[in-house]
Amino acid sequence: MSAQTTTTADVHGHVDTDHIHGHEHHHEPTWLETYVFSTDHKTIAKQFLITGMFWGIVGGLLSVLFRLQLGWPNDTFPFLESLLGKWAEGGKISNEFYLAMVTMHGTILVFFVLTGGLSGTFANLLIPYQIGARDMASGFINMLSYWFFFAASVVLFISFFLQTGPASGGWTAYPPLNGLRDIAINKGSGLGFDMWALAMTFFIVSSLLGGLNYVATILNLRTKGMSMMKLPLTIWAFMFTAILGILSFPALLAGVALLEFDRLLGTSFYLNMIVVNGHLLDYRGGSPILFQHLFWFLGHPEVYIIILPAMGIVSEVLSVHSRKPIFGYRAMVVSIMAIVVISFLVWAHHMFVTGLNPNLAAVFVLFTLLIAVPSAIKVFNWIGTIWKGSVRLSVPMMFAIGFVSMFISGGLTGLMLGNSPIDIQLHDTYFVVAHFHIVMGVAAFFGMFAGVYHWFPRFYGRFMNDTLGYIHFYVTLIGGYAIFFPMHFMTGLPRRYYTFANFETFNNFNFLTQFISIAAIVVFIAQLIFVVNFFYSIFNGRKVDVERTEDGHTYGNPWEGTTLEWTAPIERIHGNWAGEIPSVYRWPYDYSVNDKPYISQNTPLAPGEVEHT
Amino acid sequence: MNRTIAMSRGEDEYMQELKGTTEYTGVHPQKFALWLGMASMTMFFAALTSALILKKGDFKSWENFRLPSIFMASTAVIIGVSIAMHAALISYRKARFSAFRWLFTLGFILAVAFLVMQWLGFRALAAMGFPLTGNIAGQFVYLMAIVHGLHIVVALLVTAIVLILAIRARRDPLYELKDVINPKRKLHMELLVTFWHYIDIVWIYLYLFLYFNYR
Repeated sequence: MSAQTTTTADVHGHVDTDHIHGHEHHHEPTWLETYVFSTDHKTIAKQFLITGMFWGIVGGLLSVLFRLQLGWPNDTFPFLESLLGKWAEGGKISNEFYLAMVTMHGTILVFFVLTGGLSGTFANLLIPYQIGARDMASGFINMLSYWFFFAASVVLFISFFLQTGPASGGWTAYPPLNGLRDIAINKGSGLGFDMWALAMTFFIVSSLLGGLNYVATILNLRTKGMSMMKLPLTIWAFMFTAILGILSFPALLAGVALLEFDRLLGTSFYLNMIVVNGHLLDYRGGSPILFQHLFWFLGHPEVYIIILPAMGIVSEVLSVHSRKPIFGYRAMVVSIMAIVVISFLVWAHHMFVTGLNPNLAAVFVLFTLLIAVPSAIKVFNWIGTIWKGSVRLSVPMMFAIGFVSMFISGGLTGLMLGNSPIDIQLHDTYFVVAHFHIVMGVAAFFGMFAGVYHWFPRFYGRFMNDTLGYIHFYVTLIGGYAIFFPMHFMTGLPRRYYTFANFETFNNFNFLTQFISIAAIVVFIAQLIFVVNFFYSIFNGRKVDVERTEDGHTYGNPWEGTTLEWTAPIERIHGNWAGEIPSVYRWPYDYSVNDKPYISQNTPLAPGEVEHT
Repeated sequence: MNRTIAMSRGEDEYMQELKGTTEYTGVHPQKFALWLGMASMTMFFAALTSALILKKGDFKSWENFRLPSIFMASTAVIIGVSIAMHAALISYRKARFSAFRWLFTLGFILAVAFLVMQWLGFRALAAMGFPLTGNIAGQFVYLMAIVHGLHIVVALLVTAIVLILAIRARRDPLYELKDVINPKRKLHMELLVTFWHYIDIVWIYLYLFLYFNYR
């Protein structure tokens, strides 16, 4: 009997290390367990962030390189040959590598930076902290999620060094161009594309494993008193982002699986009557449009997977730094839900020029325009939040305001492009490039930067340097507009072209093209300032002021926020809170109430105080 | 020694502790995560089947055929997998280790047999004039069976690990008992068997879907 009791205790102790009494009996983790194969959500968040920053630099650098080609198509840059070797013989980027760079720029920024780097970082950091949990529902699956992302990154990065180069058939991977392994058609269609597909498969697995964990954690591990309507808007955004990913990424996986069947096994799901060099190939019955349906069934929700976390972060940052409750909390939650639902019904607006039945197109136009309603509600509420607030123009606040500006500018052109008659004219031109870069590229980056500057003290117990932060902000804001605003006037100029030198009609855009290229280089350099600031501040940043010390742990609340992440020790311990997890009594936006600057969520209601509903 | 009490600790106790400190749905978070994962996989197979419907509608030379009867047999086998796995789980819960090991091994073998029969099905299909690169109607059968088979392979790998652990534990009754009262192990068993049921139901769905679309 005694033997059995011991066994039970052993098992019990072992099992509970992750959640319940993590601080009571956990074994000392090794270096490898702490920093590499960590199951701690805080470490995983940092891993996602730093991998995302690496990809951000790579993706940004690619855009600088192809902007050099676009801005100065007749000049040579000898340093390019030392950098790219045979891809830039004589200092001029080859047209093949130009296409590869455009393809990889899209893939990297959309998936590896703004999905993995953004959702992965902030969902991991904030979900356990803000809902009051010791960690994610499954630390192990969370770790797997990162390492699948890492594997995807390695595969994609290696593909740059292939003899035939990385995938070069566009980030949308449309067949038939990408449906054949024939490098005579397109060099990137060889091994480069297969590695792209493998990387995307790993990436999809990663984001699914992450997403399952986020939703399960939010629904099951909220601390006592944390009802759904007391969740910060960040958490609502992460939850719906994860749901969106769980339901839409499988469609892309199916699309890519069929594509690889065609490429590797000789099936013809997407291929029909292909003629190469005068020979009719043996493929019958496939339809490339099928791929577009599967691709955009993910592809459109994907833009909301990118923008929703940014929206959540911005809502939180605007409220904290305006010292005012968020305007229209319920409307914010409902509009996130509405965006998620409608985002599944708009995918064919990417396909207006595929010969889509105009009656069907009308339905997609309707839903596309409809999605502007919840988006506009959110914009209105952000402006309502800062209206008459005691706004603190800190660096995260500047980026949050910048986000709203970018989102409005890019969103308005979305209304134009959502109409099929206009879209058919503007399809595949720089007008579209301008639209989506502003609304989901630059805007999402602004949300991400707002988050990094705001939660850097939570990550490292220090602030990032303000001066460098303001320089980063102003250059990025002005530069971002300088790059993409002129593109609105370049209607008719087709995207993805290697050079326009052969088209006399486009000569009048030469000045604008060069101007954009210069702005892109300046903005890229400003991002390097951010990277330097980030790593410098980890070790040398101003420390967060210690408000009190308890049981050997120090506590501080750098932005005077109400949410639970600031009630945990500055030191970032395993299990997040030294003692019991705080219980929650009030909503997360009690700023400037009861004659107090702010009241934390774990402060019980004062006698006679009515709970905010 | 009351085995039932020892075993009912673990997950229930964990849930009790969650109940004390947490607002939760009443489901173990990892089970919840598995359900979400199954929702995701359902979307994957839904995408494949809708691709078939789309293709069947717009391709003039689509050829219908009777599915090789071996697929009906493999469907029966996969139902057997579910039954064996479920019976194994019940034995596990009741701490009937020997029965558990036998049933679990049976389930494993049946699942391998299922994969072999799928492969035989491919050969029968090719013999009927529908090779992998033939008419697109045939291609969809290969597609569905292969991507479903990959899910089976993953489930088999996890099952193999559990099976090896269970067979190793046979020599030590104390270890065996620890295996059962270990709440984490019990949870993992339940998750694994749930996944087997899910992936079996997916094949039944795919089989019926193909059967009725190709009549």
